[in-house]
Amino acid sequence: MTSTTRDLITDLSTSHGEPGWLRERRAAAWHVYETTPAPTWSDEEWRRTDTSWVDWDGAAPAANGADPARLALPMEVSSASVLLRQRGSMVEVLYTSPEARDADVTVVSLAAAAGSDGSMVADRLGTDLAPPSAGKLQAMNAALWSGGAFVRVPEGAKLTAPIVIVIDAADQPIFPRTLVSTGAGSSADVLEWWRSSQAATPGFANGCVELFVGAGSKLSYTHVQAWGSHTGSFLTQYASVARDAELATTNVTLGGRFHKGAIAATLTGPGANVRLNGMAYLDGEQFADHHTLQDHRTTDAASDLLYVNVLDGSARSVYAGTIMVQPHAQRSNAYQQNRNLMLQRGPRADSIPRLEIMADDVRCTHGSTTSTIDPMHLYYLGSRGLGLDQARSLIVDGTFEPVLDRIPDATVRSAVRTAVRAKLHGTAAA
Amino acid sequence: MTATNGQTTLSIRDLHVSVEDAEILRGVTLDIPAGEVHALMGPNGSGKSTLANALMGHPAYDVTAGQVHFKGQDVLELETDERARLGMFLAFQYPAEIPGVRVASFLRLALNARRETEISVMAFRRLLMEKMQMLRMDPKFASRYLNEGFSGGEKKRNEILQLAVLEPELAILDETDSGLDIDALRIVADGVNRLRGSDLGVLVITHYQRLLNYIEPDRVHVLIDGRVVESGGKELAERLEAEGYERYGAAAASEDA
Repeated sequence: MTSTTRDLITDLSTSHGEPGWLRERRAAAWHVYETTPAPTWSDEEWRRTDTSWVDWDGAAPAANGADPARLALPMEVSSASVLLRQRGSMVEVLYTSPEARDADVTVVSLAAAAGSDGSMVADRLGTDLAPPSAGKLQAMNAALWSGGAFVRVPEGAKLTAPIVIVIDAADQPIFPRTLVSTGAGSSADVLEWWRSSQAATPGFANGCVELFVGAGSKLSYTHVQAWGSHTGSFLTQYASVARDAELATTNVTLGGRFHKGAIAATLTGPGANVRLNGMAYLDGEQFADHHTLQDHRTTDAASDLLYVNVLDGSARSVYAGTIMVQPHAQRSNAYQQNRNLMLQRGPRADSIPRLEIMADDVRCTHGSTTSTIDPMHLYYLGSRGLGLDQARSLIVDGTFEPVLDRIPDATVRSAVRTAVRAKLHGTAAA
Repeated sequence: MTATNGQTTLSIRDLHVSVEDAEILRGVTLDIPAGEVHALMGPNGSGKSTLANALMGHPAYDVTAGQVHFKGQDVLELETDERARLGMFLAFQYPAEIPGVRVASFLRLALNARRETEISVMAFRRLLMEKMQMLRMDPKFASRYLNEGFSGGEKKRNEILQLAVLEPELAILDETDSGLDIDALRIVADGVNRLRGSDLGVLVITHYQRLLNYIEPDRVHVLIDGRVVESGGKELAERLEAEGYERYGAAAASEDA
């Protein structure tokens, strides 16, 4: 069974015309996958996260021919600088703005980039940030990813409109993979949106994102998970942030039955500045777990994290975040905050902050709050004429607002706001 | 001084209110005709804020007996938001801080809840700026989160801003003067005075006479131990300032000490 899967991976890679190095990497990753034990309750990272539903032995490349539902795009095509859409494993670029063309920005399928833009992709794909050795899920993705997106923003290029990556899935397993690299002094916003219809939702999704933020560049990367409600979803999102570079990631978790995000930023050069933002709105039986890592490996860098969960029904969330400061990383400045708002008595939120500080001249703080809606807030808003539903939805909006506020691009911010409101008012897209 | 049409806006009859089974109001009777400003004075613990919150429908206050009618309607049957939409307004002593909710977007929602047709974003913006200018508030205020990180004075000014934008027919000001310095007090009183007119009835709840130097009341009522013990003209407030509440009984006097 497993050896046939390896052959299948190699055959598919060959038939897609992938270069030899990629074929070998897939095979090697599959070997790591097979020899890495599945996570269990006894692993600290998985202690609160049930993966017993995952069919580890049934993992196989995504079948071709899955035809996802036609969902409306999250924004006007022309408000993007480039819009790339993946349907199943098929990738197409729907729009490229004159600005993006003039700036010589590359946004193509990762498979195509591995062939044509070989050296940069070969150097970075699954090497430093999210290698197969990072874990069984990362190895699985490295072996099985299809389609994928490659974004390269050349040195000095400054884009004013966001690069948008839309991944539409049907009911087949899907393995998205994204690699973003920003050149020195460049600036870009990237929005990645995972979607499926309620009717045909993938049972399993396992995506991997690698962000290389070059010296003095600015990258804002926003990720929206909006699978249909039956999906079990994994996301690995690792970034390395060079000298004087700025990175803001925002993870928006709305869909799926199960979601696990492993989010990390490594600060590698002085002056690096990182913001890790997250918001999840969960209801029904939804479960979402976010593990984050702010890894300070350099002096004089700053990171600031804000993760906000709003829980309704009998939803559950886990937030576990580590601030790590390496021994030589003096004058690090790191902050971490997790806020959870319960809309009723049923949900549960676990919050586990962790500091690992090995340098002595640092400023690191963290905080966590879990609260229900304050009846005095409802009374106050009621005294101004707002009914209970209106007041509650205003309070939920307000809870997410500080995260939305941290999304720099107005188009991206407004697309995210619309998606959150649609879920809040029970009018989620198809 | 003020034009009154003589029509009673708010009518309170023999109101009894308990909080956690302790009776705080023991039969309050009070009428506020449209266009009049009434002051309710009394020592700490006399039930002033209880009256304000019971009128607005605070969930923790149980009305055990009595009636309240506003514009002829029995408001005790109504939820807080329904009372507000009918035209009642409470300027809180301690307004809630609501993170993430911006003053402007909240106020537009609240105004629309009062109106039959939605006000346009532009028209609302103009209205808000005009009222903020009247209260000498920095326009930046509009995009701040509701009461979060506001100073005591800013919170009170924000309450009066809401009053000015929402234009209710009855405004209850619960200790609006507490925590205000003299300049802020003047601005707030100015704002209230400009809103006085043939329609707006005002109930000014205060411990001290100070605010009444700036907002001149048509009537003054004294609340002691959950009952209105005396009513009179504005000279009653001046007498209270000079003599305190002692004459109404030892219990009240000791609480005021």
